[in-house]
Amino acid sequence: MSLALLVPELILAGMALALILAARRIQQTPVAVAGTVLAAMAAALASVWVLSGGARAGFEGMIALDGYSQFFKVLISATLALAALLSVRNLDAEHVPRAEYHALLLLASTGMMLAVSSRDLLPLYLGLELMTLCAYILVGIRVERQESNEAAIKYFLLGSFASAVLIYGISLTYAVTGTTDFAGIASALSKHGTGSNLLLLVAIGLVAAGLAFKIAAVPMHAWAPDAYQGASAPVAGFLAAGSKAVGLAALGRVCLAAYGSEARVLSVVLAGLAGLSIVVGSIIALSQTDMKRLLAYSSIAHAGYALLGLIAGTGDGASATMTYAFYYVFMTLGTFGVVAALGERGETLDGYRGLAAQRPGIALLMLLFLMSLTGIPPTAGFAAKFFVILSAVRAGHIALAVLAVACSVVSAFFYMRVAVLMYMNAPREPAPSRFPAAMSAALAVAALVTLIGGISPGSLARWAAPPIP
Amino acid sequence: MTAYPVLTAATFLPLLGAALILLFGGDRLARWIALATTLATLAVSAPLYACFDKASSALQFVESRDWIPSLNIAYGMGVDGISLPFIFLASLLSVLCIGASWTAIQTRAGEFYAALLVAETAMIGLFAASNLFLFFVFWELMLVPIFLLIGVWGGPGRVYAAVKFLIFTLSGSVLMLVGAIAIYRTCGTLDFRALALARSSLEPAQQAWLFAAFLAAFAVKVPMFPVHTWLPDAHTEAPTAGSVILAGILLKMGAYGFLRVSIPILPHGVQLFLKPMWIVSAAAIVYGAYVTLAQTDVKRLIAFSSISHMGFVTLGIFTLKRSGVEGAVLQMINHAIVSAALFLCVGMIYERTHTREIKDYGGVARAAPVYSTLLALFCLAAAGTPGLNSFVGEFLIIGGAFETQAWLGAMAVWGVALGTTYIIWLYYRVAMGEMNPGLVGLKLELNAREVATLAPLALLAVSLGLYPEYALSYFRASVGQLLAAGVTP
Repeated sequence: MSLALLVPELILAGMALALILAARRIQQTPVAVAGTVLAAMAAALASVWVLSGGARAGFEGMIALDGYSQFFKVLISATLALAALLSVRNLDAEHVPRAEYHALLLLASTGMMLAVSSRDLLPLYLGLELMTLCAYILVGIRVERQESNEAAIKYFLLGSFASAVLIYGISLTYAVTGTTDFAGIASALSKHGTGSNLLLLVAIGLVAAGLAFKIAAVPMHAWAPDAYQGASAPVAGFLAAGSKAVGLAALGRVCLAAYGSEARVLSVVLAGLAGLSIVVGSIIALSQTDMKRLLAYSSIAHAGYALLGLIAGTGDGASATMTYAFYYVFMTLGTFGVVAALGERGETLDGYRGLAAQRPGIALLMLLFLMSLTGIPPTAGFAAKFFVILSAVRAGHIALAVLAVACSVVSAFFYMRVAVLMYMNAPREPAPSRFPAAMSAALAVAALVTLIGGISPGSLARWAAPPIP
Repeated sequence: MTAYPVLTAATFLPLLGAALILLFGGDRLARWIALATTLATLAVSAPLYACFDKASSALQFVESRDWIPSLNIAYGMGVDGISLPFIFLASLLSVLCIGASWTAIQTRAGEFYAALLVAETAMIGLFAASNLFLFFVFWELMLVPIFLLIGVWGGPGRVYAAVKFLIFTLSGSVLMLVGAIAIYRTCGTLDFRALALARSSLEPAQQAWLFAAFLAAFAVKVPMFPVHTWLPDAHTEAPTAGSVILAGILLKMGAYGFLRVSIPILPHGVQLFLKPMWIVSAAAIVYGAYVTLAQTDVKRLIAFSSISHMGFVTLGIFTLKRSGVEGAVLQMINHAIVSAALFLCVGMIYERTHTREIKDYGGVARAAPVYSTLLALFCLAAAGTPGLNSFVGEFLIIGGAFETQAWLGAMAVWGVALGTTYIIWLYYRVAMGEMNPGLVGLKLELNAREVATLAPLALLAVSLGLYPEYALSYFRASVGQLLAAGVTP
């Protein structure tokens, strides 16, 4: 029975429906949060459990059950659980409908899971659209805030454009190969001479552009700063972590399994995306004064770093990219988690002044996440960066590797500016109030993964490096 | 062999202490925990010196464990004669730093001592690492605690100095990362010993690029002319303990990198860059000395003198002659002792006078005879007076320089002459003459804790001056092996 392949998705969707049905009765945040976290854990366990029967495909080969999809399903579950835990404070402060909020998180995650297990362009598109549609609403869910509405509209307009680009690329691929199935595309392409079909090159470019939107790679990045700024911090973290991981997963599968024979073109396209993202993200981040905007540009730069692994077009390279995605999820959720924990004060850079004197613990956590984002050992960010730069150098892209590390110095400047504000300035605002235990737990998990990933990159290898399709 | 992994214990004990301080130590308990930790570190590292086989150039106390199996990268530790003295100095100076900060650090003391201990872990780990990956990890780990030490507890210009330090050192070290990755790609390993054997697979042209990449990292740390500009700011603004660590250990990390990476692994690159290295070293010696003469701030003066003294070190290394390299290592040790001592002296008097301007001093000897005696000892040592430690190192380096190129020797001698001038002139202006009216009534004399902090360094300065063979015997075999294997490509 093919339905067994979708158990994790069904669990999440089921919980989402249950929350919506019971919405009128759910007045308290803890119920919704507990339900979401439980569903996320169940989905993670289920995805491990269903794979124990061996890798297989179902639904006419459209949905794959393999180590790759399992890896991302676990990662998505972790993202969902952490985002739900980190939302606790915001929900109480902002009068957001609790049940709907969590149902949207769950449905977005369902879409992500569908996307990472697709072996066909159409279910991939469906999954991504489900994720993005939920994300539009999540960004704008703080209806009383103007900037939130504005962000949602901008995100929606740009997002629909990118979806149109993606579906156009899919249709052109269908026109050339007569199929949307990855294996079918690959076998059809192997009959063409590489690089000979202009229509196919356009198709690849469009699909890559559509997926680049999801990971916020330049030039499809314009939505990220506005959307992150307008969204609440946990939602922004959920987008930065989840959307990027899924986009990278999809890109990885598409590049290796479907368009593998056009590796040369892909490598040029991806190298361009990576280089541009790293440079543009790092440089524009320098002048930001809003914390979430700064993190948005940082996430653009990180999309570029993550892509460095895919350029090689090899399994090792893709595995480096996925490792990057894995660690990036935890460090970025941790950073957004600190922003969320500080409430209004966390929104602007000035709010971080003197934080270390008032709350040494949370300042230290932030320093850890910032070090990881910069790529300073012994944090996971360093290990991740080491792997992707290694694979870029192996592929012969030395200049790109040098560009990447040079930009990481630029990025040190704005990450460490936050550290300067926290540690080397006197506080101007009263100390932030204590935050709920749920948030502490989520931050602790993120910090632990960030540290262990850096101290002993080998120990998480089984989890952090997926088998390649 | 010893009963426990000495190097791992010595490296990570301070980290444990830092964790203890952050978890349990309030600001009051912190300094006691820190003192206990650094003393314990010194104690657990004792077998290193007792059981070290001086006749062997091989790595000793080797530890190896799988770390990242997928990339064949191991957690490897081991010391030879070149790294051993620096482990000793790092653990000793850490103790003294705590002595120097005992009363000077009043705000957020817990975090201060935690940062200091993390820095100690990075320092010891760096010199104990037996592969490039681990070396790089400790190299970078050093960055953040020092950044915080300067930026949080430093002087008025601390934030500027801290950020400048961070950006300079990070710019260099990321290029080292690319270099390390490129080496790994070609050789398939990052272990120092394996790389020295596998270096023939690195093409001469590739070695030139790699040398340049590593040079970027090492030159900033040494610091070599013209990338030295972060150093005066960082030294001057840092709290005393920060200056001591910077001058004592951090500057040595760059020179150690040349000895550990560039010379054994990249001989073609070294040959290609030999002349430029001579020129910038000579420039650092002479230019650094002239700039030092013009300084009006005591700390800045010592900081610039470090540039000149580290010029001797790089000059000695790149003579590639036995006496030059031995002298360079000895000079690294001596400079660590003397500059750390001078920064401690300056810090102690600053705590009383709150000024670093030379013109605000004068006649200190009248009020503080013990202080002035110790200061005189360290100033004479810095000037290279025979009988004190720096003399031997400089003498060996100058010998090596004359062996290589006569003009290099001449520049070095010129540097020594200028060095004597600026340091004696400094002592004259600070300690001798009429008492500065601003100092009257201040209690300038050192207390017992401060004398105890300076005493080990004074002892080292005198004993190494009288019997340098004690230090030389540790690294003679290693230097010999380095030159035998490394100079000719």
